[in-house]
Parts: sequence; C-alpha cells; structure tokens
Amino acid sequence: MIDSRDQMVGVGAMAHAPVLLVPGQAIREPTLIWSKILMTVLFLLISIGMTNLYSAAAGTSLFWSQLKNLALACVGFYVCGWIISPRFYNSYAYWIYGAVCAQLVLVDIIGGISMGAQRWLKVGPIVFQPSELAKIAVSIIVAKYFYTSRLSQPYTLRDLLPLSLIIGVAFLLIFAQPDLGTAGVCALIMTCQLCFIRINGRSLAIAATGGLTVVLGAWFFILRDYQKLRVLNLINPDMDSSNTGYNALQSFIAIGSGKFLGKGFMAGTQTQLQFLPARHTDFIFAVFSEEHGFLGTSVVFILFVTLIYMGLAIAKNGKDVFASLLAVGMTGIIFVSFAINTAMVLGLFPVVGVPLPFFSYGGTAMIVFCAAMGILVSIERESLDLFRKVSPFQRKSANSRSSKQRS
Amino acid sequence: MKKMSRSPHLLIESRFFAASIVIVIAALILWLRLWQLQIYRGDYYRRISENNRVRKIDVPAPRGILYDAWGKIILGNTATSELIVVPQYMKNQEKTFDVLARLLHQPGDLFKRKYKRAKSLPKFMPITMMRNLSLHEVSIIESNRLFLPGVEVRTTARREYNTGTSPHTLGHLGELSPSAMEEFNAKNKNNPYSIGDLVGRSGLEARLEQYLRGQHGYTLIQVDAFGRASNPTEHEWDLPLEAAKPGSNVQLTIDLELQETVSKAFSGKNGAVVVMDPNTGGILALTSLPSWDPYMYQRGLSPEEFRAMTLDPLHPFMDKTTSGEFAPGSTYKALVALAALQDGIITPNRSYICNGSFSLGSQAFGCWKKGGHGTVSLHRALMQSCDVYFYHVGIELGVDRIAKYARDFGLGSKLGLEINMERPGLVPTQEWKKSTHKELWAAGETPSVAIGQGYNLMTPLQLAALYSAIATRGKVWKPYIVKRISTPAGITLDERTPTLVRTIDSVSLENFELVRSGLEAVVMDDEGTGKNARVPGVRVAGKTGSVQVVNLKKNKNQSDVSILWKEHALFASFAPVENPEVVVVIISEHDDKGGGGASAAPVAGQILRSYFDLKKRRAGLAIGAAVTPIPTSQEGAEHD
Repeated sequence: MIDSRDQMVGVGAMAHAPVLLVPGQAIREPTLIWSKILMTVLFLLISIGMTNLYSAAAGTSLFWSQLKNLALACVGFYVCGWIISPRFYNSYAYWIYGAVCAQLVLVDIIGGISMGAQRWLKVGPIVFQPSELAKIAVSIIVAKYFYTSRLSQPYTLRDLLPLSLIIGVAFLLIFAQPDLGTAGVCALIMTCQLCFIRINGRSLAIAATGGLTVVLGAWFFILRDYQKLRVLNLINPDMDSSNTGYNALQSFIAIGSGKFLGKGFMAGTQTQLQFLPARHTDFIFAVFSEEHGFLGTSVVFILFVTLIYMGLAIAKNGKDVFASLLAVGMTGIIFVSFAINTAMVLGLFPVVGVPLPFFSYGGTAMIVFCAAMGILVSIERESLDLFRKVSPFQRKSANSRSSKQRS
Repeated sequence: MKKMSRSPHLLIESRFFAASIVIVIAALILWLRLWQLQIYRGDYYRRISENNRVRKIDVPAPRGILYDAWGKIILGNTATSELIVVPQYMKNQEKTFDVLARLLHQPGDLFKRKYKRAKSLPKFMPITMMRNLSLHEVSIIESNRLFLPGVEVRTTARREYNTGTSPHTLGHLGELSPSAMEEFNAKNKNNPYSIGDLVGRSGLEARLEQYLRGQHGYTLIQVDAFGRASNPTEHEWDLPLEAAKPGSNVQLTIDLELQETVSKAFSGKNGAVVVMDPNTGGILALTSLPSWDPYMYQRGLSPEEFRAMTLDPLHPFMDKTTSGEFAPGSTYKALVALAALQDGIITPNRSYICNGSFSLGSQAFGCWKKGGHGTVSLHRALMQSCDVYFYHVGIELGVDRIAKYARDFGLGSKLGLEINMERPGLVPTQEWKKSTHKELWAAGETPSVAIGQGYNLMTPLQLAALYSAIATRGKVWKPYIVKRISTPAGITLDERTPTLVRTIDSVSLENFELVRSGLEAVVMDDEGTGKNARVPGVRVAGKTGSVQVVNLKKNKNQSDVSILWKEHALFASFAPVENPEVVVVIISEHDDKGGGGASAAPVAGQILRSYFDLKKRRAGLAIGAAVTPIPTSQEGAEHD
C-alpha cells in the first residue's frame, strides 16, 4: 500500500512535470500504473476525437461508420492488451511480417484505387489498408531483429544490412502504391526505434550521406508530380489558392480563425461550409482548432504528449529488448503520426496522407492505433508477469515458461 | 539470459531522456505555431474566414423616374434580367466564357473582354456580362447552370422610354469604364460607382446623374465552398443588409401629350422643334430628328452600326435643339425690324420699292419673289417676307447695330438649358470678322445678315427664346426643362422657378407692337407667307424662313439636287397674339416639300392646334363639366 501511494505521488508529479524524471523508478509491483494513465488519456482523446468527427462529418454517415470502427478498435485494444502476449509477436515476428507483405503485394495488384493510389484491400465486407498494418509489422520486425542479433559493440552498417533488406521489401511495396505518407511514417517509426540502439559513428555518417542521396534521388527520379507539388506547397501555400495550395491556405484560415476559444462545436464556418478540404481525414485537426480554439488544441497537445510519455515509460520498463523496442515502435506510431499530421495541418510540413491518431476518419488506422495502445498495455503487463499464456492458442502458461527461462 | 532480463537494455538508458526532450521540443514548436496562427494572427484569419463565407451582393438602385409637367411618366423603369459572373466561383474561365458565348450566340471574345475590364475587382464581386436577357436566354443559362459555375442571372431594372419623347433630351446610359470610374469616384466619395455601373451619357440622364442614380444597396449572403448560398437558419449567422436607395424623381416642364403630337407632326422631317412657354422659359416639347432608338444601347450596338450612325450626314446623334446651329433666315427679320424701328431707320410707313432684286455696287441680291413685291412698308415686308426691304434696312442699320440688338435678346451666347452641349450660335459683327477672319467687313455682307443668312447662326432654342421675347414684349426668360427634383418619398430636393434673365428696355413697347402685328399678319393675313399655321379660334403670329444651304443657280429646280443641298424650312411662331402662352419653333433641314411657309408652318399649325385642344380639354376636366367647344372667334379676320 505504501508503495502504491508512492506511485500515486509519482503520477501526480508527472501530470505537471515531464515524465522523464519518473520512468527511471522501475515499478515492480503488479500495478499497471502507466497503462492506467495511458487508458485514461486514450479514453479522453477518443472521446474528443469522436465528438470532433461528428462535427466534421456534419450530418453524414461517416460518424456512424467510424463508431463501428471504434467498436472493432476496442476489441483490438483488448485483444492486444490482455490476450496476446508480446512474446507471441516475438515468436511469430517473421510470419506476421510476411503476412503483411503479402497483403501489400495484393494491394499493389488488386487494390482499390483512391486519390490516384492503390491503398485498399477488400475482403468481403471488410475494407482495410494493409499499409497501416505495416506500421506495426515493421516495428515488430525491427524489435525482433535486435532481439535476435544482440551485439556488445555498436552496430555497424554491415550488421544492419539484413534488417534494411527485410524492411526494404515492405517499404518499397508501400511506396509503390504510392503512399508516400505511410512509407515515410514507417521509416520514421523505424528511426525512432534505431535511436535507442547504439550505432557505430562512422556507419551513421555513411548512412546519413546515403540517406541524403536517396532523398535527392527520389526527388528527381522517383517522386510523382503531385507528391513534389505537395512539398513545394509547403514553401508557399499562397502560390495558387485554387489548386495545390488551397488546402493548406484553407487550413490556416480554419485554424487561425478559431482564435482562443474557437467558434464553438458544430459552428466552424470553414468546416461546416466545406471550405476546408479533407476535413474528416488529414485536416481534421484544423476542424478541431477552428471550433475549439487555442484552448482546445492545447488540451489535445497535452493529452498526446502524456500518451507518448506513457509509451516511453512502458518502453523503459520493458521486459526485454524486444518488448522495449516494440513499445518504442508503438509510441513512435503515435508520435510520428501526431507530429507529422499537426505539422502538415499547421503548414510546417508537406501535405502527406498521415492521419491524426484517434481523430481522423478511417477504420484501419483507428484499429491500428488502438491495437498499438493495446500492445503497450500488454508490454507493461508482461513486464509485471501478468500473462499466463503467450496467446490464447497456447496451452502453456507464458509466465511459467518465462520464469523457467529466468531461473 | 538472466542479466538480459534484469537489464534488458541493449537500449541506451540516456536516450529515453533525450527522447523526452525531443518530444517536448517538437510539441513546443507545434504549439508555438498554433499560438502564432490562432492568437497572434487570429484576427486576420477570422477576417479571411468571414470573407470566405460571406458574399456581398450588390443591389443596384433603380434610377429616378422622369415625369412630365402633368405627372405622366416619360422615363421609367421596368424589370429585366442580366447575366453576371462571380469570378471567385468560376472554375475554368476560358471554358465558361466559350460555353456562354456559344449558348447565347455572342461573339467569342465579348465576355472575355468584359471580364478583363473588371480584373481589378475583388473576386467575389459580380460582373455584369450581358443585360436585357430574353426569357429564352435566361432559361438557357438556368438549365446549364450546373456547367457554368460562377454564372448567375439576376433581376434588375432597366430604363423604359416613352418613344414619343426625343431620346436626345432624355439621353442614354452607358457602362462606366474603369478609367472614367476613377474620375467619377473622386467626386463621389460617399457613394462610389463600381465597374459596370450604368451612368447617364447624354441628355437629362447625364445632367441629372447625381440625382437619378440613387445608392447601391447590398445583401450579404453566406455561401459554402462551392459558392452555393447556404441556409442562414441552419446556423446562427446574422448578416447585415443595406437596401438600395432608388434615385430621385424628376418632374420636367415637358408636356408629354403635346410632345407626342410634336413627334408625330414632325415625323418624316429632319431638324428640330422647340415648344416653349414664353412667360416662364419652360420647355414644353423638344424634338430633334433624325433620332435613334432609345433601346439601341440596351440591346447593344455593334461597331458597324455605330460607325454608320456617326457618319450619317444628318447627324442622328446630335441634339439639334440645343447644339444644332442654323442660319435663322427670314425669321431673323423680326429682330432686324425691331432694331431699325428703334434706331429710327424706318417708321411703320416708310416704304421701299421691291422689284425683285437689290444691287449694291456690283453685287446683286435677289428677293425670293422674283417679280418683286412693289412698294412695301414694314407690315407687308414682314407679312410677305420681302428680302429687298430688309436689304435696304440692313444697309442703313449696319451689321453692328443689328448685333447690338441681337445680343440684347440673348443671341450669340448660351442660354443655359445645360443639356447636350448647348451651342452659343453666332452674331456677326465687324469686330468679330476682323478677329476671326482677319478681314474687314465688306458692305456686301450686311444685306445677307439682315435677312438672317451669311454668318448668322442660331440654335432652335435661341430662336424660340427670341420669339418668346418678342411675344412677351421684351421679357427674356432663361429656358429650363427641370421643374422639380424630389426624393422617392416625395421630399423636394430642388425646385426650379422661372428665371427672368432681363427685360429688354432698349426696344419700346410700340415698336414691339408694330412687329408683332406684322408677325400676326404672316399667319392671319391671306397674303401672309405663314397662313398654313392657322389655328381656328386663335390668333397666331409667326414668321417663315427658308435658308439656302448652297448658292444654287436661280432657276435650278430644287428637286434635282441632293437632299443635303436643299433649303432649310423654318417657322417661328407664338400664340395667342394678345396674350402669348406658347412659342413654337420649327427648323426642318433640307426640306424637299418647300420653304418655311409650305413645309414648316403646317407643322407649327398642328402643334399649336394640339396645344389649344389640350388646354381646352384640361380646362374642361378641371371644372369637371362636359366641355362644349368654345365658339370660334372672328378676331383673326381683322387683318384682312
């Protein structure tokens, strides 16, 4: 009891000050403290996000269909958090990755076309975007790679070569759709994970140079015209208000005109009069900013930052390299999506198709974000040895097996 | 293995701290950007978002209405549809204009040209592309609206003319060009014009522009991103609305019924008619022919049509009542007679012998009557318009003394009616000839001046003013046409009262009477040249005139020559003689029916008859009883 009170103090301090002081205190007691805060924040974010989507959808059926997606996402959250142990991903990492890659191939071949890109896969009544699943699959495979090839000295490029080859498959498949946004997000999630790995300095320099070459090469030889335009829009959104820069400009107007308190729920003129493009998907943050102002956006920022900190705390207390790296990956999904989406809406980043977690309309994305949160919960639960089984398919108790390993 | 599970971290512990910093910094950057957009520039973006959703729709004000002296509408308004485009909501301008031109059968570049002219306007401002759409055209546009984003049809007012009235007097409207607009708006800061506005370009429309135009109103409507007006009750938007203020109404001195008679009586001829009240200077009717269709500008005039009209030798665009300058011909003799009587050159009994011509040095001047009039005194000289009599008088009087009296009557300068570029006319003097032509006055030029030819130039309005002064025995009134300007609510803004410019005291009343009786004889005497102007029961006085346009050989037949070389037929008259109340001046240019007596006098007769008929009818209505025609008096026969 005393311990738990201490924890409460820690939580209280965390609400004000950066969490980074707290994660160090490893919590051994079987109290899902980080997960509880995470779930609270998640609940708030989803509530705000759904309310906002209701306004953005403005009477269309989008809200109701997203509500169904949310129900599925909740199931996903529970399954990932309480039924499937992180060990399951560890064991079946390559199978999972292979399955997602197979889906990506299918998308490239028979996928539905939307906005000039093939992104959808339709199985019966279910329509989903495998590229969203790829975010989790990539995180798993990176975690698995560093779990299996542990080195005492810093990793060099040669050590990382097999990983880049494995990841490259998914990356190219997504890029071919083309879905620049998701490809970039996958790369960034992987980068987040690599940040926690000791990498050889020389190798890093070479990789940086190579990366730059790839970026420049992509600009001149690979990127399609509309993708380049999006990047150019960033530089000057007023360039042509009726075409490419229109979205960004209308987004500024929507956000700016919200001022401090916003125009009120369902009363954003930019949104309700449809000046704002993609208002229920990529630009949904502008809807929220317009209707709830600086005050509302600040609250949402705090919630997101808190959520990310919870993810980091869980990562730090991960049971093993795999769990920690996977937690970093899951946190990275939220962080990268949040940062890129808001930066894009705020005109600090090119317009790429990255959804805002828990806000943007989209079934697969919602499920993937919730599943990622579930995985974070499962990692904390694993670190507290709360899993009896690796997965419902296994007879053996996961705990007993791990305790065997430990002893 | 155990070590790994306790400290699983191949992960670098310190990186968690670094990651926290990175996250805070990233969030802070985004948060600051939010602050910049929402707080620092919030007002700016709020304003833009308002502009985004709110569209200001100009509501053009209907122009003021022109009434005649009796309250009849001369120039009113009627509803019409016009085609407008709102550039903000146009998707593909080139294509839209091409489609429009094809749908409406208009030249391909018409709309593009108009659009280019309005380039400087804000994008939400509607631009008028075409006015007076037919029902068919409206339905074509409405049914294709889906493919024509930004194109709209709006109902507005257009001018409806009374076709009996001279379009020169009423004037026409034209679209304001961007360059002219700046000039206009410099003067009208409170009530600026916008591009495409119609402004008065001539006649009363131009002169009374500031009163007639009214003030634009506007409505604000809320539109969505596709330019569709949204239902304002859906959200609580309260948008201001400013109703258009219609222009002021103007009552003219014109008598519409008389004006219609004038137009009918004068139709088929070219030239001008002025009907004026000699006791006030109020204009009762004005006509200038050839004329133009007042709806011509509403329909749109092709450059070819316009060129053809400007090149027309009969000058259809010129308002001849005020800006046409003609030699007054024999109508001038009344003035010369007054001058000669007053200066003692002649007495009523002094006579000259007319044998058909008059010689001065080597020059010979003919009388219109080749056989001559025999012995003529003043009365007969006026009655029969003897030229030789006035050659003698002119020579004895001299050009400068004629000019002196002419100026007393207000000739040679503008009268101040202020419509359509009034011309001053010309009263020649020796001084004038010296300064203008650098030549001395030749004695041989005086006889021509004495019979109203030579350098003499008068506008029909001046001729009417001259005869008004003779009719009223020396009262010169400033001619006016605008009686009253009042707001649509009926509040009088300006009321013009008759202005007496001067009373001519240089001519005695006896001399006026002598000339007036001579002028009466022109019409009432059976030997008079103007007897075609008689009106039953009314004593009419007048003077005929025929003006040679070019010197033709004496016996050359008039019917052989081109119309432009034919004589002008003039007639100036007033009635009733005892108490004149109407002056009628007819100038029929290049008349092929004959001189003033044969061609112009009958028109004046018709106009006068109509005037007195109207007067009788109105008097009858006024007393509310059945009117029995007033028995024809026999006074007119006295002069036999």
